[in-house]
Amino acid sequence: MSEPSRVDRSQLTLVEQGWSRFYGGLLAARRRGAHDLSVLERLRRVRATLETQPGEPIDLEAMARAAYFSKFHFLRLFRQAYGETPARCLARLRLERARRLLETTDRSVTDICFAVGYESLASFSHSFRQYAGTPPQRYRRRWIALPRPAGPVLRVPSCFVAMYS
Amino acid sequence: MLKHLSHATVYVLNHDSAIEFYTQKLGLELRTDARMGDFRWVTVGVPGQPELEIALMEPKPGMVFDEETAAALRTLVKKGALGGGAFDTDDCEATYQELKARGVQFRGAPKKEVYGLATVFTDDSGNFFSLTQR
Repeated sequence: MSEPSRVDRSQLTLVEQGWSRFYGGLLAARRRGAHDLSVLERLRRVRATLETQPGEPIDLEAMARAAYFSKFHFLRLFRQAYGETPARCLARLRLERARRLLETTDRSVTDICFAVGYESLASFSHSFRQYAGTPPQRYRRRWIALPRPAGPVLRVPSCFVAMYS
Repeated sequence: MLKHLSHATVYVLNHDSAIEFYTQKLGLELRTDARMGDFRWVTVGVPGQPELEIALMEPKPGMVFDEETAAALRTLVKKGALGGGAFDTDDCEATYQELKARGVQFRGAPKKEVYGLATVFTDDSGNFFSLTQR
């Protein structure tokens, strides 16, 4: 299985370079026999790219093409594998990224909106409100106002946090 | 390579009551009692053993447990079906007397085992522990 690892390496570089170069890379990967990768591996690669680059413009057709599936076949397989549609997965990843940016930076809401891949502030605010329960700006104000421990930061291993999440 | 065990879990039914038991009766140190929203992070430890913290966790439904599993876990704890571990002492008989006087429930007096002396006590939730002298 030396082919897949070569493909993976090229994908990693492509992730850094963005979607614009992604397709060219995939064509090269396909020439190297990437179509032999298992179904899950093909799905996983698309998902990994969504996770690392959720802000890049991408639609179902492009995702399906990147995984060498027809649109509806890809949709069905993705939902089976991950329990959510690709669109929902991408929306969630974008909103999670927006939340992190609201919490950890002082970038404006408009800036964050475009950075995570939304094309309109109205639709970003609407989606964020559905996701977090409050509009972005108010979410940030509440986050800033949350009481913080004065002492050293607690180390709570994530397996324990998961139990209460 | 692993260095050491830093956290172990004991499932308890109630944090307040568990803190009282583990600190007042058993004599452990309260290392952390912090709240983050619904999450309460409580750890205790043996004085002189700073590298190990015992996380006292209330089984609650969430990402790890569904409602049914959390309820089943609480039932098992309450039934006394779950063991929490073993504490070592240099003098099992004296520690047994001391803890008993503070209200710790034992399942009997220390008995001779092949490795030394041992007895079993339970916490306020129902978890059982060995008290051993090796």
